[in-house]
Amino acid sequence: MALAKAGALIAVLLLWQLAALRGLPEYVLSPLQIARFFVQALGSAELYENIAASLGRSLPGFAIGSALGAALGLAAGVARWFDRMLSPAVFLTYPVPKIVMLPIFMIWFGIGDLSKILIIALACFYPVFINAYYGVRQTRTILVWSALGMGASRWEVFRRVVLPSASPMIFASLRVSLALSFIVMFAAEMINARSGLGHMIRIAENSLRFDLMYVSLVAIAILGYAGDRLVRFAHSRLLAWQQPA
Amino acid sequence: MSRFLPFLFVGIALAIWEAAARSGLWSPLLFPSLTRIFKELVLFLSSGTTLLEAWVSLERALGGFALAAVVGILLGIVMGRSRLVAALLDPLFSGTYAVPKLALFPIFIFVFGIGSLSKIALVFLECLYPIVIMTYAGARDVSRALLWSAQNMGASRAAILRRVVIPATTPFIFAGFRVAVPVAMIVVVITEMISSADGLGYLVIYSLASLKTDRMLAVVVVIAVLGYALDKAVVLLRDRLIYWEKLDTYYV
Repeated sequence: MALAKAGALIAVLLLWQLAALRGLPEYVLSPLQIARFFVQALGSAELYENIAASLGRSLPGFAIGSALGAALGLAAGVARWFDRMLSPAVFLTYPVPKIVMLPIFMIWFGIGDLSKILIIALACFYPVFINAYYGVRQTRTILVWSALGMGASRWEVFRRVVLPSASPMIFASLRVSLALSFIVMFAAEMINARSGLGHMIRIAENSLRFDLMYVSLVAIAILGYAGDRLVRFAHSRLLAWQQPA
Repeated sequence: MSRFLPFLFVGIALAIWEAAARSGLWSPLLFPSLTRIFKELVLFLSSGTTLLEAWVSLERALGGFALAAVVGILLGIVMGRSRLVAALLDPLFSGTYAVPKLALFPIFIFVFGIGSLSKIALVFLECLYPIVIMTYAGARDVSRALLWSAQNMGASRAAILRRVVIPATTPFIFAGFRVAVPVAMIVVVITEMISSADGLGYLVIYSLASLKTDRMLAVVVVIAVLGYALDKAVVLLRDRLIYWEKLDTYYV
């Protein structure tokens, strides 16, 4: 099984490399060329500066948006009046592409990092809110009743029953919102920025530096993959009692 | 009182907006009043050229989505019913799932040109993931009891696929659709904002560059309504097709 897993990936890379030997258009580099350019770029400060700029936008946005989404989603799941007040607005705006707010945010908060962080936070808010909300709603009533029957206070019920049963779904949404934060960060940087991986790929595109284009692509791919692994690792660590999915 | 509660939040937000617009503290460039946005909206809807821009965006989103739906459902069902195919393809999909496909856009421009094709290709790629992953999850977990009883009663493989596997997978397919449809809109708007000479995303950037904030917000409203309507269409279709199962959509 493990062989088949690696097999598909190796087969794709081999085919790609073979195709490159036969001759590809100049904007499609071979895997070996990409690897060589990437290792080269690892030795220069430019790549690290752009990665730092990108993470400086995506991580605060992810943290703010996810924390707000989890807090408000839990509150809307628990308190009926809050649910009726907030949830319709959230579910109404949920299918709207949040990136269109970027130009307005740029006008309100300037073209610096603040508008980008806030748009990333806005995009990350929705999946976490929705999963926290449904996570609370799916708490088994019998568990709540038995806790109340055994004399638990409302806070204890929330802390010991509702929160643990909602947390697997919150973690599932954190994976989604982390991926979203990278997408929105990249888009915002491609639209307007003076630093970051999205800016780097834009510059590379305009000056036909295909090597830089692929370096930026590989960097964002590694970041996305590593971030996803981290969230999954934290999930399995913090919620070790949960059956692995 | 409680009947108006759902509208309270939206109402308060709109009232604050209008108050901010009328207070004169900020330039109308920052906070155009609702009436001006509404006027621009009417202007947008009454002009053929702007409606054409909306159609261009919609065409790209739906084209990429439809391609992804066909390929994604096929791949997902084959992966769910064949362990060999799953072992081959699952690592590819789960390994690249968290990678922002948007980063491929500059390369897509070189490969597919700067017109619609590169955008449709990116929409296809981004929509493919949720549809494949959800369909795979559904097709994999078809109840064994149902499969065995169908086999016992002498159903052919094709009959089992059509009568058992596909109906059991459909709710998951729609869950994938509900994730993929907003993604399609997002990708279209982003790619049009980055590089395009037509479409709604381009109109947003163009209005911003000409400091027409009210027009920009009118276009944003149009995009929002389109995104909402597409999602509603998927929900309506789902409730018609799989009336036996009610599902809330969330991320798994």
